[in-house]
Amino acid sequence: MKPKVAFFSFTSCEGCQLMFLNLEDELLDLLGLVEIVNFREAMKEVLADEYDIAFVEGSITTHSDIEEVEDIRKRTKILIAFGACATIGGINAIKNFQPLDDVRKYVYDRDWDKIDTVPTMSVDQVVDVDCYIHGCPVDKKEILDVVTSVILGKTPRVPDYPVCVECKLAENVCVFDKGLVCLGPVTRAGCSAICPTFGNKCLGCRGIISDPNVNAEKDLLAERGLSIDDILKEFRMFDGLSEVSK
Amino acid sequence: MLPKIIERDDLRAFVEALLADNVVVAPIRKGEKYVFSEVETFDEIALDYNISLLSPKKFFYPQIETVLKFKIGDRPESQAITEASPVIIFGIHPCDIAATWLLDEVFKEDPADPNYLEKRKKAVLIGLNCAQPCDEFSFCRDMGSYNVEEGFDLMLTDLGEKYFVEIGSKLGEEILVEGAHFRDATSGDLKDRQAYQEKKETNFVKRIPYDTKFLPEILEESYDSLVWDAIAKRCFSCGSCNIVCPTCYCFNVTDEVAASAAEGERKRVWDSCQLAEFTEVAGGEVFREERSSRLRHRFFRKGKWLLERYGKLGCVGCGRCDRNCLVKINSVEVYTQLAGEPVQ
Amino acid sequence: MTVEEKDRAAAIFKPETGRIVAARMLTETEKFFRVVLDHGGPLGHKPGQFVEVSIFGIGEAPISICSSPTQEDSFEMCVRNVGSVTNAMHQMGAGAEIGLRGPYGNGFDMEAMKGRDVLFVAGGLGMAPARGVIKYVLDKRHDFNIVTILYGAKNPSELLFKEDLEEWQARPDCDFHVTVDRPDDSWKGNTGVITTLFRNISNIDARNAWAVVVGPPVMYKYVILEALSIGIPESRILCSLERRMKCGVGKCGHCQISNVYVCKEGPVFTYSQIKRLREGI
Repeated sequence: MKPKVAFFSFTSCEGCQLMFLNLEDELLDLLGLVEIVNFREAMKEVLADEYDIAFVEGSITTHSDIEEVEDIRKRTKILIAFGACATIGGINAIKNFQPLDDVRKYVYDRDWDKIDTVPTMSVDQVVDVDCYIHGCPVDKKEILDVVTSVILGKTPRVPDYPVCVECKLAENVCVFDKGLVCLGPVTRAGCSAICPTFGNKCLGCRGIISDPNVNAEKDLLAERGLSIDDILKEFRMFDGLSEVSK
Repeated sequence: MLPKIIERDDLRAFVEALLADNVVVAPIRKGEKYVFSEVETFDEIALDYNISLLSPKKFFYPQIETVLKFKIGDRPESQAITEASPVIIFGIHPCDIAATWLLDEVFKEDPADPNYLEKRKKAVLIGLNCAQPCDEFSFCRDMGSYNVEEGFDLMLTDLGEKYFVEIGSKLGEEILVEGAHFRDATSGDLKDRQAYQEKKETNFVKRIPYDTKFLPEILEESYDSLVWDAIAKRCFSCGSCNIVCPTCYCFNVTDEVAASAAEGERKRVWDSCQLAEFTEVAGGEVFREERSSRLRHRFFRKGKWLLERYGKLGCVGCGRCDRNCLVKINSVEVYTQLAGEPVQ
Repeated sequence: MTVEEKDRAAAIFKPETGRIVAARMLTETEKFFRVVLDHGGPLGHKPGQFVEVSIFGIGEAPISICSSPTQEDSFEMCVRNVGSVTNAMHQMGAGAEIGLRGPYGNGFDMEAMKGRDVLFVAGGLGMAPARGVIKYVLDKRHDFNIVTILYGAKNPSELLFKEDLEEWQARPDCDFHVTVDRPDDSWKGNTGVITTLFRNISNIDARNAWAVVVGPPVMYKYVILEALSIGIPESRILCSLERRMKCGVGKCGHCQISNVYVCKEGPVFTYSQIKRLREGI
């Protein structure tokens, strides 16, 4: 029997689900491997409530999110944190550096006290996660790799080295050599250095590697004229939950 | 084979003749830097380039290369992929030619690597001599790679109104015929070439305060030096030094599976000894956990271990590692410091 | 060169195929496989060599051969479930096809050990490669002098190849001792780390003996120390080292220690070589 797959979305732009649907050339093949039973972005029906694989997109930002993701966990064999919001908290974690009530007032104005919110959490701060697909948005190739890996019973390969490796493989001109700053030296690779390849800096959307040389990165940014505040802003854009942002 | 001369104005016609029925790769501009890339016209070529981001080794040892195609299932099948297509590498500098000597030794060693050797065999190397070092990062004089006598099919030296052309192989000779713009070098040409060389010898200076023949011994004495810890403090372990190196050859092997999960390809990808996972075994043990031990491994490979194994230094002094190091780890400084000398 | 050898040389990444003819769990985490190559011939290995097992779509893993070349119709592996490839192997039973490259590595120099006393010291999964050498020595028993086998595991349930152990225990022509670090209620034998077994060694002519030491990285220092202290020369203490090996043919660089590739010049090294490698143990 084909594994049952479901998609769930918490606080996010839902762009990562779109990336899945954008797998135009491979989608038919993938649908030959799995049965999608719950995918609000793509279908109306809900065909099952027990899942072999659940893609969980978005960060956890309300009490009901917590309950819901705990419930999904109970009904799921392999839970995949899908996209930066889910894997590292992502942009949503910016609010964690401001008083929560200020954030609520700013966003919801008059009825602010009627809307529930908690500090942003990545999915693995609430439930066990079996597998990560990093990135904002996720990379199509990595979706394929993870799905086929799960089908074949292989642990998907999530790099734990800096973006620089892939950026050099792509023979890019170093972002620092262009007078910009870049989080590539401490950010997890796996994106084929897509941002530097297209002329941008790395914003750290795939999270910080497990053994970053944070002091070297901070020194490097300071050398380029960034203040402590500027440096923290760089890190907090995507990596607010990580140690480096503290 | 006796050297030839081609007039400056004829170089275009020669290259265009090559372009007519060959794939030609040459240095072109990329932002403020240079890369080797396939060219369609002579004008794209940056003849005055200093150094390319990656060395032309990528044409016989690509960053990512399929080595096997396979079918998954109860009856697994596989097919080795070793095909190569011919390419002319135009404008390769002496240091990058020197680097191919080491790669050739490594991949020729039994059992020989057909993926590399097939591509290497089909690559024609047309060298371009350098009159001066690329920049402050070059230490090719120390590593003895600023002049090369062999390893190329042709070597062009810019003598102003003309190029002096050394022929390094039978293949090189055949290519010359194709161009038909060449004449024999006269004694006057040889004198000009000699003058070029004399000037070149003064332009390239030694930067390490000792002869690099002592490098193995100096490294041997420095195995337990705190210098490794000192530079490791600022090292990102980002692997850039390895990836841009013209002599690094380590690779990882990974399987990529098609969306059908029924077939796939096994690929080899350049790898870096600076990454912790480089030595990680299945049980999780990492044999070089400290950044300092990984840095030391790289320098020992370059200056000692590869020399002992293959008879060639693992470094040609092109300076790419240092040029690309965000935290300014500098080979010349490291080698100087290891010898107990003050860093300039 | 035979046609086959030429094929092998033509593509170092091309695996041949073999069929699993027997598979069974030895412990909770180790599974035993017997494999027959599809070309029908022997693997042609030396004790102590390894193969790269290929599961297409998942990858390759270096696995040591645990059978002796004296067994020609098939070869055997003992595989711990620690990664994707080994996990996939654990899902396989008799009849399954796998890819294989090798044998690789230097293996043990059995000729050199001829006529001498041989002391085996195996810890944990180290018994897998050691078993291939032990079986070879016992199959050619007349070629060797006193044979002593010391084997240690964390607990009784982790002991591998229980039938072989019983056979070695029963054989009058080999001196076998086993110990566990953490005994359970049923354990009647020795307790303690493997070095405690050295006091059971009797009568060996240490100056002319060979020691074959295989085990987890932490074990080597302690065991080598014991072997040296009973008088076995550095150059006759043989260890098999574990490293990451992606290619098996001395190219990919992962297993490099100093100027050697463990997959090529190793995995078997004498202690006199290892002490010069510095990062060896």
